Amino acid sequence: MLRVRNYSIATKLTMMNMLVSGAALVIACLAFAAYDLISFRQSMIHNLSIQAQMAGSNSVSPLLFNDPQAAESTLSALRAARSVVSAGIYTLDGRPFATYWRDGNDQPLTPPQVPAGETEVHWFKDGQLALVRSIVFQGKPTGIVYIRSDLQDMTLRLQRYAGIAAMVLLASLLAALLVASMFQRAVAEPIVHLAQTARIVSRDKNYAMRATPTGKRDEPDILIGAFNEMLEQIQERDGALRKAHDELEQNVQERTAQLAASNKELEAFSYSVSHDLRAPLRGIDGFSLALLEDYAGRLDEEGKNHLQRIRAATQRMGLLIDDLLNLSRMTRAEIRKEVVNLSALAHSVAEVLQEAHPERRIEFRIEDRLEARVDSNLIRVVLENLLGNACKFTSKRASACIEFGKAHCNGSSAYFVRDNGAGFDPAHANRLFGAFQRLHGTSEFPGTGIGLATVQRIIHRHDGKIWAEGAVEKGAAFYFTL
Amino acid sequence: MTGRHIRAIAVGIACILFVASCLHAQQSNPTEYQVKAAYLYNFGKFIEWPAKVSTAGDLFSICVLGDDPFGVTLDKTIAGENINGKKVVVRRVAKLQDAVHCRILFISSTEEGRLKEILAALDRTSVLTVSDISQFTRRGGMIQFVMEANRVRFEVNLSTAERDGLTLSSQLLKVAVNVRRSPQPGD
Repeated sequence: MLRVRNYSIATKLTMMNMLVSGAALVIACLAFAAYDLISFRQSMIHNLSIQAQMAGSNSVSPLLFNDPQAAESTLSALRAARSVVSAGIYTLDGRPFATYWRDGNDQPLTPPQVPAGETEVHWFKDGQLALVRSIVFQGKPTGIVYIRSDLQDMTLRLQRYAGIAAMVLLASLLAALLVASMFQRAVAEPIVHLAQTARIVSRDKNYAMRATPTGKRDEPDILIGAFNEMLEQIQERDGALRKAHDELEQNVQERTAQLAASNKELEAFSYSVSHDLRAPLRGIDGFSLALLEDYAGRLDEEGKNHLQRIRAATQRMGLLIDDLLNLSRMTRAEIRKEVVNLSALAHSVAEVLQEAHPERRIEFRIEDRLEARVDSNLIRVVLENLLGNACKFTSKRASACIEFGKAHCNGSSAYFVRDNGAGFDPAHANRLFGAFQRLHGTSEFPGTGIGLATVQRIIHRHDGKIWAEGAVEKGAAFYFTL
Repeated sequence: MTGRHIRAIAVGIACILFVASCLHAQQSNPTEYQVKAAYLYNFGKFIEWPAKVSTAGDLFSICVLGDDPFGVTLDKTIAGENINGKKVVVRRVAKLQDAVHCRILFISSTEEGRLKEILAALDRTSVLTVSDISQFTRRGGMIQFVMEANRVRFEVNLSTAERDGLTLSSQLLKVAVNVRRSPQPGD
């Protein structure tokens, strides 16, 4: 029965129909058969009782005048009743008086007594109906008649009944099948069609499919209508979503293109500006030098001093322009990533710095075996800037200590450059990486304010992050990820 | 055990034996006249008398003419019985005139000598005549007891009975050993 669950609704409907009509018919047939059997039994009992009465009343005179032959000839009339197996007449004290056997054998019969106060008893036993009746003549019991009948008629009737019932059942099941197939078309087919459509829709993701309405105002039609409506809504929503997505994509592309274009323009502009600025500067510096050398005799000390200051200023501006050009180059340069030994790179930078400041005692602590996939040229610029800054801001310390290594924090790792130099006010930490931003005076620590901006640009181009920690006179630490 | 005890036991045993023999006598085959007495009574149940007889009086008398061969058995047989609501009584009659009012008259074999006279006297009186005198039905009697293989049976002279207005039930005729329907020649 468990498998029934997997049958299609049409099969289920047909089965239901057949089962319902079959069950109803079987019950009806059983009820009819039971009724018929009961009434047949009663009529059997009634008939047998009549036969017993007739045999009994015809046996009165033989009993009273002691004539068993007459009684037996009376009993032999029972031959007409085929179902009577045996019959017997008994005297009041229970002695057999006359007997009759349908099949000729002559076994003695011993009848049970008729209970006091009753004239007749009957019982079914061993496939036979037995009946005992006391013979009453003119108000006085005269003898006993005992008659037994087989149930062949009943069996025959039952068989005929079973045959007819089987035929009726078969015919009505066929009729039920016919009716079920008709109803199936009306009820099951729309649902089956809907299920097929739903399967195709969910398999092919084809929301343009539609189930065909039945055109009748029944539940399957409502179901189909709702299903189609749902498909339509899904389609509409899909369309709107795709449209919004496409628009967004286009917007992003446009903006990106605009941004790239303006960025390029800006870079080209700043490059050309910086480049073009160098020519007049060179002129100013060159002619200042020419004045100092060619007209040294005619200039007093103050004049020479002014020219010196002009030269210093132009050289400073030259440095500024170099840095700016550097910055813009860093921005535009193509990145070629390779595995770089950062420890070795840091050592070589530190060596250069040490050589530049032979008078200072600087301790470099560089962690070993630090490697990363980066652009080696750009990362050298980063280390030059960060280590150079550290060197610069520790110049006022008797003993400088500069560290480079890898730190683990919050589950990710970051490289750091730490010093014990002048440090900075954490309130201005966000200004550190802006171009031309300086937290210290030029007289205190020389510099253009371009370095950290360049570093940040390079780190960003490596998809990394950079941040700084520090406090005034407590040293500074720069962290970056790659 | 004293002599009185022995006598009491002996009396007890005698009593038991007597009662047992009585019961045995009743259980065992009845005597010829016990059967005939029962038949006499039973005839009354299967015979209809004409209305003038059946409505007169409220007694149903079975009479015995001549020497009574039944003794007490006939009285015992009919004691307390009724036929069609009439009390059955036994009368022993000596004179023929008394027999006229009987329903059933048993003619003892001692009366064989004057049988013709008796039957003539009872002609058309609707008295059922019964006897075990031989050739009784041939000689104008209605029912005659005959012995057949140690069993009491009877013959019927139906025409005589019907001539007297008696209706004999077919049930009765069925068990009769012989039914005469017309007077035999030579009677």
